[in-house]
Amino acid sequence: MNLTVNGRTHDVESGPLATLLHVLREELGVTSPKAGCEQGGCGACTVLVDGEPQRACLTPVGALDGASVTTVEGLGAPESLSPLQQAFTHHYAAQCGFCTSGMMIAADAYLKRGGTDDREAIQEALAGHVCRCTGYVKIIDAVAAVARGDSFDLTVTAASAGMTNLGGDV
Amino acid sequence: MKAVGARLPRYDGIEHVTGRTTYVDDVRVPGTLWAKALRSPLHSATITSFDASKAEAMPGVHAVITHADVPLLEYGHLSALGIPADEPLLAKDEVRYKGQPIAVVAAEDEETAMAAVEAIDIELDERTPLFDIRRAFDSDAPKVHQWGNWYTHFEGEMDRRQIRKGSVEDAFDKADTIVQGVYRPAAIEHVPLETQVALVVPEASGRLTIYSCTQALYFSMGVVAAHLQVPLNKLKVVGGTVGGGFGGKVDTASETMCALLAQKSGRPVKWRWTREEEFLCSSTRAPWHMEIADAVTKDGWILGRKMLTLHDSGAYARFSPYGLTKHSFHHTGAYTIPNLDFDGYVVFTNRVPTTAMRGFGVTSVSFATETHMSRIADVLGLDPYEVRLKNANRIGDTSPNRIVYTDPSTVSVVKALAGGMDVELQPDYAAMTRDPREGDLLPEHLVSQIANPEDH
Repeated sequence: MNLTVNGRTHDVESGPLATLLHVLREELGVTSPKAGCEQGGCGACTVLVDGEPQRACLTPVGALDGASVTTVEGLGAPESLSPLQQAFTHHYAAQCGFCTSGMMIAADAYLKRGGTDDREAIQEALAGHVCRCTGYVKIIDAVAAVARGDSFDLTVTAASAGMTNLGGDV
Repeated sequence: MKAVGARLPRYDGIEHVTGRTTYVDDVRVPGTLWAKALRSPLHSATITSFDASKAEAMPGVHAVITHADVPLLEYGHLSALGIPADEPLLAKDEVRYKGQPIAVVAAEDEETAMAAVEAIDIELDERTPLFDIRRAFDSDAPKVHQWGNWYTHFEGEMDRRQIRKGSVEDAFDKADTIVQGVYRPAAIEHVPLETQVALVVPEASGRLTIYSCTQALYFSMGVVAAHLQVPLNKLKVVGGTVGGGFGGKVDTASETMCALLAQKSGRPVKWRWTREEEFLCSSTRAPWHMEIADAVTKDGWILGRKMLTLHDSGAYARFSPYGLTKHSFHHTGAYTIPNLDFDGYVVFTNRVPTTAMRGFGVTSVSFATETHMSRIADVLGLDPYEVRLKNANRIGDTSPNRIVYTDPSTVSVVKALAGGMDVELQPDYAAMTRDPREGDLLPEHLVSQIANPEDH
């Protein structure tokens, strides 16, 4: 069988019951999808399969003959970042970075189907993606900024819309 | 100081958003073996027989290590600070918590490693486990640890962390009422998205290259070198890229065993814990049991506090004596109480060993103290913000361990919280600052608290 990953077509040698995650990480060396739980619970392995976000850890590769897979590596390289990648950088939406690949893939699919900057709609689109650094506010800020068509200055990091300055008289 | 106040981009931001950050699990070394552990299925048991010969003979299995393969079996994370070692790297005659590693295998792939673990013959004689830290002090409680059921090696070989300040008896005599509370926050698993993982590569030079997800690279270096009994210059440790830690990657969890397997097999060895292992076998934030009795006046001053803390260390000490010490220094929270009588114990149970998590030892007492402040206000019929502001730490006040506060933030934080909750404070409270106490805010019982910051 063969699989196109980020525009390159590969012959897959793993058996049909190998997970897409295993094939990507261990056979093809595409390491941005993470083995966070291998139970479909955390979202860190999410990739686009023919444009739809799927949990790579739960997907047997045998079902995907001829499919086209996109990972974060396929969204844009450092010298040609997509608006979503720029937004995640500018809005400080990646902390430890381990959930970031899955978050960005889900966000990319949301934006491509015409998602707006409505925060509840973004939350719904990212539901099932766990960020244990609890950086959700900034992640939602980043996705909303792309939906609005903002441009981004990558030499600085944005203030977060969801944070309030408690102030005080220290 | 160009960085202060500036919104600088992350040094690793572009790598994160392009999928190029190399976590330990992303390092690719040809010929890498997978490690899997035989872990105790029981909370407490004696190991009556162990035979790994079938596993060792399996095709694709390159090494099996047990306690017998560890040059220095017991080494404590805080040995360098004089806290004695109590935990074997791999269980020898007994297991003290469910999930404790007994043997680790390295094989060609994950499936073979799992099959090899299942092929190890082991027999255990189950014992009654202990989970309740209050039960640990009963004469008929199961005996958990070689030192007894609580840690006995504080300075001067004391069996508790103790703080005495002022005269609690005097404070309780003068009090209008005593407000008591018991607070029991539970264990919390850190749940980093990246589970525990290490990769150790034996180099032609005889050195070991260790890729670790540790938050505490120099701890790992010291711990691995001690167990292996090799000088530090035999280890090259690569770290700093952590897929979430939150305190749960301070303990050296997997690199030492990978190092032993790499030495024994001559091959690179990787061990990535499953999510199930992370939940069941990795260290957690400790459960705590805190009893507070405060001597208070009817107008809301706290004259004195008696407190008993039991800190659940799990099966071994690890960092718990240090965590309890921090806890004791902070046991009045963000408030100044002049007369104190604190006893804290590090208690052993048959839970997983507990460890640091975001504010090690302090969040427990912050929770207890803040809940207790509101309880005091309830009992006295006073405003909870005013009770807090009145007793708030101010410049020149002293902490339980007699540190002089020079930069306390209680007043500004409590006022900001009131603002955030749309609570309007009475004018004299709204005008309150953190300046040194005087006038009505310096009642007789607090005079002994005041130090001149310039003397320190």
